[in-house]
Amino acid sequence: MDSENQSASSHGTSSPSQPSGEIQERSTSPGMRFPERRLADRRNGRSVPASLLTPPTPPPPPHLDDYASIVGRAQIESLRFLADQLKGKSIKMVNSTALGGGVAEMLNRLIPLLSELQVPTHWDVITGGNDFFEVTKAFHNALHGKAYELTQAAKHIFLMYTEQNRQRMHFEEEMVVIHDPQPLGLVLSRAKTPASWVWRCHIDLSNPDRRVWEFLRPFVEHYDAAIFSSQSFARQLSIPQYLFYPCIDPLSEKNRELSDAEIQQVCDDFGIDRSRPIVTQVSRFDRLKDPVGVVQAYKLAKKYVDCQLVLAGGGANDDPEGAAVLQETRDAAGDDPDVVILDLPPWCALQINAIQRASTIIVQKSLKEGFGLTVTEALWKGKPTIAGAVGGIPNQIIHNLTGVLVHSVEGCAFQIRYLLTHPEFARTIGANGREHVKENFLMSSNVKRWLLLFRILEQAKARLPKAA
Amino acid sequence: MASAIQPPVRKPDAPFYFKTSEHLLRIGRYRANNLAQLLNAIQSCPEDSIFQHTFRTLQEHHFIRQGFSNDFAHWSLFACNEPMLAEQLASVDIREFTSIEGVRRRMIEIVDHFLHAQPDSGSRPAQEPFYFCASDIVVLPTPYSPETLKGFLDGLNQVSVHSIHHHFIEARLRLKRMSNDFSTWLEEDVGLADAADAIERIDIYTNTMEGVRLQIARIVSQAIN
Repeated sequence: MDSENQSASSHGTSSPSQPSGEIQERSTSPGMRFPERRLADRRNGRSVPASLLTPPTPPPPPHLDDYASIVGRAQIESLRFLADQLKGKSIKMVNSTALGGGVAEMLNRLIPLLSELQVPTHWDVITGGNDFFEVTKAFHNALHGKAYELTQAAKHIFLMYTEQNRQRMHFEEEMVVIHDPQPLGLVLSRAKTPASWVWRCHIDLSNPDRRVWEFLRPFVEHYDAAIFSSQSFARQLSIPQYLFYPCIDPLSEKNRELSDAEIQQVCDDFGIDRSRPIVTQVSRFDRLKDPVGVVQAYKLAKKYVDCQLVLAGGGANDDPEGAAVLQETRDAAGDDPDVVILDLPPWCALQINAIQRASTIIVQKSLKEGFGLTVTEALWKGKPTIAGAVGGIPNQIIHNLTGVLVHSVEGCAFQIRYLLTHPEFARTIGANGREHVKENFLMSSNVKRWLLLFRILEQAKARLPKAA
Repeated sequence: MASAIQPPVRKPDAPFYFKTSEHLLRIGRYRANNLAQLLNAIQSCPEDSIFQHTFRTLQEHHFIRQGFSNDFAHWSLFACNEPMLAEQLASVDIREFTSIEGVRRRMIEIVDHFLHAQPDSGSRPAQEPFYFCASDIVVLPTPYSPETLKGFLDGLNQVSVHSIHHHFIEARLRLKRMSNDFSTWLEEDVGLADAADAIERIDIYTNTMEGVRLQIARIVSQAIN
C-alpha cells in the first residue's frame, strides 16, 4: 500500500503468525521518541505538548456492532447474512510486514471483524533477508514506473526466498489472499491446495517498468482473481479483476467523532484560531503532495478572502528529501503569521483528526497520488474538499458533487475563494462527500467486499467439474 | 357534503419479503479515451457493464439529488466537455426500460446521433478514460417479511437504501415490466392500485434514495389512513 496510508492510526491487536526476529521492520517502532524540534513551526512561539513526544497506548479494536450507529443496523445485518454462508470456512492473508504500513494496519482492523463474523482469518508474514527486501523494494518502485535494470541475480533472489517461504507455509484455508508483489510467488503452491487464490495489489500498476512486469505477470495470472484500488491502477489480465477501494476506520483515533473541547485543545496547542476560516492540507512533506503549491494557492486566495493555512504532516524526520521540502514550504510561507506548519510524528492521529474537524476547507493538491486516504478522511468529516485530479482521488471526488477537482495552483486558489464565500454550496458538497465515504470507503464496506468475494469464489469453485 | 367512504384496507394476501442486493465491482476489459471509443465500447461491452453504468449509478450515488443520472452522461460532461451530449444521455430514464438491451440501444442512438452531427468530437481525447466496470451481485434476505401494511412501513423504515434500490429500481429488469416490487405487491396482494400507481410515478432523478423511501412511506401511510 502506498506510504500515504501509513499515516492512518493503528490500534488493532491482531498479529500474524511469524517467526520473530526475521522480519525487517521499516516503520516507526513503538517507544520511539520524536525529535521535539521537528514538531511544529515555532516561528510564532507556539508551545508543543510534551504528550506528543511518545506514541499513545492504542485502544482495543472495535466490534462489529460498534459500527451500527454509523452505517446503520441494516448494513451490519447484511454482513451477518453474507457471513452465514461462509461459516466454517477460513481465509489466510499473507503480506510482507507485521507492523507499519497501510496493509498491516488494514489487516489489524479487518481480521478481528471477519473472525467476529465466524470467518476465521489467519495472517502470515513472509520472511527474507535484506537482499530480498532490497529486490522487492526495487520491484515496488519499478511497478510504479521507475526505470529498473532487472538482473538474473534479482530474479534469483526473489525466487529463492519465495521457495523458502513456500516450504515454511501451509495453505489449508479456503481462500488465500496475497498482498502486494513481495509474496506474489507463493501462488506456486496453489496446486497443492483447495483454496481460491487472490492477489490484492495495493499499488498503481498503470505504468510499470516493462521487464519487471513481464517477470511478475505469469505469477499474477496464476491467481483466481486480482484486486486493485482503482480502475486506473489495473492491467489487462486473463483473470477477473475486482475493485476494492482502500478504507478508513470511522472508529479510529484519526476519524472518530471528537468533542468540541478536544478540537479546541488541539487548536490551542498549535495556535490555530477557530474564529477565522482555516484551510488545511494534511500530508507528508513530499513534492508530489505539492505543499509549496498549496502555500501559493493560499496566498493568491488571501488577496480576496481572510483565512489561515495549516499544513500538517510528517516525513521530514526520517527522509532527507522530506526535510528539504519542509524547508521549501517554510520559505514559501515566509513570515506570514497565518501559516501554521506542523511536522508531526506518525502517532498524532487525534491531533490530525482535530485539525481536520476544525478546518473550513481541506485541500489535497497532490501532483501524483495513490488512492489518497487523506481525502477520504476529509470527506468523512463532511469538509468541503479541494483536490488534485490524480490517482484514486477522482474515485472519491465527483467534481462539484462530492468535492472539487483542480489541476493548477490558480484553480486551487479560485476554489478556496469560492468555497469560503459560498458556504451553502460548501456544506452541500461536504455532506455529499461524507455520504460517498459512508457508502464506499469505510471499514464496514471493506469487510463486505471480502465476504462478497469469498462467496463469489466459493460459488465459482462449486460450479467447476470435480476432478476425476 | 360527506366524503366518499373508502373501503377498509384489506390484509395482504402474502407477506412482502424485503431483500437486498450487494454488489462487488469488477473492472472490465473495455475502456474509452474519446467519444468514438465510448460508442464502440457501449456497442460491444457485456450487458452487466451497461447495467453497472446506468441502473447501478443511482445506487452508488443514491445520496445525490441532482446532476448524476448515469456514468456515461457524467463522463461526457466532465471528461469530454460535451454538455449537450451529457444532457441527452442524462435524460434517459432507466425506468422506461425492462431490458438492458433496450438501454444499450438508446445510449448508442444518442451517442451515434451526436457524433454524426459533431464528427470532430469523436476523436478528441477525454481528460480521463472511461473504465467499463460491472458487478457481481449477491441477493440477500433481510429480517423483514411483514404480513401487514404497518409491518411493511416498519420494514421500509429499517432496510438499507440498497434494499430500496433492489425493489424499486432493479425490479423492472427482473419483472420485465414497467413496475416495481412495492407497487406490484400493493396492487396484487393488498388491492391498493392507486398507491401502487403513485409509487411508480416517484421521480428517482430528483430524489435521493432516502427521499424515495420517505415518499413511498408517505403514500402507503395515506392509503392506510
